[in-house]
Amino acid sequence: MIEVKNLKKSYGNKDNVFPVLKGIDLKIHTGDFVVILGASGSGKSTLLNVISGLEKPDEGHIYYDQTDITTLSDIQLTDFRKKYIGFIFQQYYLLPHLNVDKNVKMGADLISNKDYHKIIKAVGLENKCNKFPGELSGGEQQRVSVARALAKKPEVLFLDEPTGALDEEMGRKLLNYISQLQKEYVFTIVMVTHNQNIAEMANTVIKMNSGKISDIYTNAYTKNAFEIGW
Amino acid sequence: MPLRLDGDDMIVGIKDATKLIGITIIACCAVLVCTMFLNFYLDILNIKDQIISPPVMAFYDAQVSTAFVVSSVSGGCLLMTSIVMLLFYIKHYINTHKKELGILKVIGYSNLTIAKDFWVFGLSVLIGTLIGYAGGHLLMPLFYGIQNEDKVLPEIAIHFHPGLFFCLIIIPSVFFAIISIFYSYRQLKKPVMTLMKDNDQQNVHISKHSQKNKNHSFLDELKSATLKSRKTLVFFIVFASFCFSSMTQMSARMPELSSFMMGAMILLIGITLACTTLFLAITTVINGNTKTIAMMRVFGYSQKQCCHALLGGYRPLTYIGFIIGTFYQYALIKIMVNIVFKDIVGVPEVHFDFISMIISFIAFVIIYELIMYVYAEKINKISIKEIMIE
Repeated sequence: MIEVKNLKKSYGNKDNVFPVLKGIDLKIHTGDFVVILGASGSGKSTLLNVISGLEKPDEGHIYYDQTDITTLSDIQLTDFRKKYIGFIFQQYYLLPHLNVDKNVKMGADLISNKDYHKIIKAVGLENKCNKFPGELSGGEQQRVSVARALAKKPEVLFLDEPTGALDEEMGRKLLNYISQLQKEYVFTIVMVTHNQNIAEMANTVIKMNSGKISDIYTNAYTKNAFEIGW
Repeated sequence: MPLRLDGDDMIVGIKDATKLIGITIIACCAVLVCTMFLNFYLDILNIKDQIISPPVMAFYDAQVSTAFVVSSVSGGCLLMTSIVMLLFYIKHYINTHKKELGILKVIGYSNLTIAKDFWVFGLSVLIGTLIGYAGGHLLMPLFYGIQNEDKVLPEIAIHFHPGLFFCLIIIPSVFFAIISIFYSYRQLKKPVMTLMKDNDQQNVHISKHSQKNKNHSFLDELKSATLKSRKTLVFFIVFASFCFSSMTQMSARMPELSSFMMGAMILLIGITLACTTLFLAITTVINGNTKTIAMMRVFGYSQKQCCHALLGGYRPLTYIGFIIGTFYQYALIKIMVNIVFKDIVGVPEVHFDFISMIISFIAFVIIYELIMYVYAEKINKISIKEIMIE
């Protein structure tokens, strides 16, 4: 379980402080599918970055079970991300000089996962292993980044606007792959999006406004990627 | 990059030209050596009529040949290196600013209009050649003094040759400005949409076959891809170790073959060239892979692993450059002594200097590893935010 207590984060300098997170408290249960919704500037991406250990908060604590990651050094945080966390960004950030297979290997090698081809197959790219990112469509590139993130078998997968650069068809397919893979590999999902429809796929929805949580609710019934609106 | 606002604004600013510090340093070294030796060459021709004795004439001929060979070889080699470096920098500049340049083309600026502003890169050569020329003239009294010391030849006086100013400063600066315009024009001929597309997804020239059916680790694959993706950088890194090896070992022989001053000058130029080239090449590798490093750090790769993947591949190449440099300097000195000085009495025989090579190699390893350490620290400072700011 992830527990966040009184999380605060500001940007700017001494004279010009801009608070982005103004005291966030929340709990995320293992295996949950959490969607963080909010308008631009609401602090949702910052919250994701801080919870995932990419950025350090100014105040507050983030517990992964018993470990408070706010107390970890940079080296310890790197090791923590290596063992527990997977990331998918809006921009896919694939390595352009490596083919699909080698890009996925980037994740797999961290835990000596020799079986990573299963995940490439699971995202429907088994015939594109030798293609380079520049030869793939946006949806395919994002599927590679999904495979790369899951190849290291993370306990928590963080996604920052994963469908932001995709059209509806590609977006739906990608979300379907992710939710199917969650069932198969069992991991927690924390996804930031501004698309309210995607919230219908989640167990827990967190709404952010001006650096604070304005609402948290759970969905009694969750829809699949092809049932939601767009 | 400052976008063109009106007729007076530059697309490529003078600030951009200052980034070509490597070319400035190389131009400075080349012109420093050429100024001294060509001036000496022209002045020594004036005393030919005063020489009667055949052995003195043989010595005179050797001096003339030395001045000519040294200025041609050093000038020629450094000119070629500067051209390669300039072309590499222009290509790199256009690649990193392709979106802005694409926008200018969309607005309606022609390739030639944009390319014309690349003339400012010639300024880096102008600055380097001016410094080199002034330095050459400052050192000239000392250089002539050493040449006149043994009194074998009649006194050689320093004369000012305006033609050299033209040939060593004006012509190279104009030549490099024209190359910059021409080459940037060629690079800008790409379709607008190619320029506007995401930088990271283009110009992948890795052989597909090279990544098939091999079970190398990700880090080894990345190391190999990094090397193959920028072959010009491989050239620069090999060239840096080649320069260091050949010039430091050559400098060790100079007190015996020529003078201590000559040795010190070659040593200084060798180390400056090697370090400048190495710094520029490694900086380009790191800057070109910032996002890769950031992404690796996000995934949990350590600083050591990032360094190994991106810089580790260059180490064996530097050793190859060092070996080539060692044999090159040995062969060059052997040729100089056996051909140029063959009629001169008392010229020492050239043997392979194993001790100089060992000292040079140890110095090289220390300098190389220090530079790598500096860059490892730089890699460590790359923020993960690099990949979040887009």
